[in-house]
Amino acid sequence: MMDVLHWDGTLSAKDFRIGAFAFAQKWESRNLAFPPWSWLPCPKHPWLAPPKEEGYLSLEKICISRPNEEEDIDQISQIDTGEEETCCSGNEDVLDDATLVQSNHHELHYCDFQIVYSSTFRVPVLYFRAYCSDGRPLPLDEIEKELPACSSKELSKKKWTFITQEEHPYLKRPWYKLHPCGTAEWMKLLFLSDNANPKFEVVLELYLLSWFSVVGQVFGLRISFKISD
Amino acid sequence: MAAESPNSARKVVVHLRATGDAPILKQAKFKILGTDKFAKVIDFLRRQLHRDTLFVYVNSAFSPNPDELVIDLYDNFGFDGKLVVNYACSMAWG
Repeated sequence: MMDVLHWDGTLSAKDFRIGAFAFAQKWESRNLAFPPWSWLPCPKHPWLAPPKEEGYLSLEKICISRPNEEEDIDQISQIDTGEEETCCSGNEDVLDDATLVQSNHHELHYCDFQIVYSSTFRVPVLYFRAYCSDGRPLPLDEIEKELPACSSKELSKKKWTFITQEEHPYLKRPWYKLHPCGTAEWMKLLFLSDNANPKFEVVLELYLLSWFSVVGQVFGLRISFKISD
Repeated sequence: MAAESPNSARKVVVHLRATGDAPILKQAKFKILGTDKFAKVIDFLRRQLHRDTLFVYVNSAFSPNPDELVIDLYDNFGFDGKLVVNYACSMAWG
């Protein structure tokens, strides 16, 4: 088995598929605030041999309009703990007011996410597109307004090396993507700092979850870390 | 919700551990209120290290959202009575 100490943080296409299935399974069983990821097989080329079990993960219609979405999630997660429930109910009127104002003046925006394997960088890459409830696509400067402050800051600092629009490798339509050059480097860090020096099978089980814990933050997504147990 | 502790106001020992090229802190362990958000730990590190972009993550190879509560992280990732938080200075996308 591969020695994780000398691992460079990348995955083979086969590893990606194994990791993607492990991730989708963990996600579905414990991250109930979101719909499940689905594995989509790559479209076959008419003139090429059919790709061997190649595919990508897709998660559709996630609301990224932050004020509404975050309050909803906060309230859901707070119902579980007795103590926070009281402080939550104390704020309820205030929160409700804000929601009401938002829904009148601010249209909800949605995002489709896809996790595609890059054979160049040998890491997963996040592709996304955003749209209004009527299906109208959102340009990047509109998407930016829905992102957390740290993401818009990064966007203004690194115009060409953070998020750019590109042709989706399978769908052949313009999608936005997060740049993957640094991914292997920080993925390696994530796993090497663990005292335990885990086996590669264990790394593979967790790889996409660990990866998504980082990339999800670009969109302010709060995924349940309980699924990493 | 692993541990629904009624006493979420208790303090958590956070152990900050440098990885990669990050400088080591003089005081690596400190106590923080469980009800504080993880963002407080990140801000503390930013101020100590004078760095804008930091890569911060806990054991089990997970990078928590800044809005998570420290107590929830401790309950899930805590070990030996403390929450180990790793940090590195390099965090590049492109």
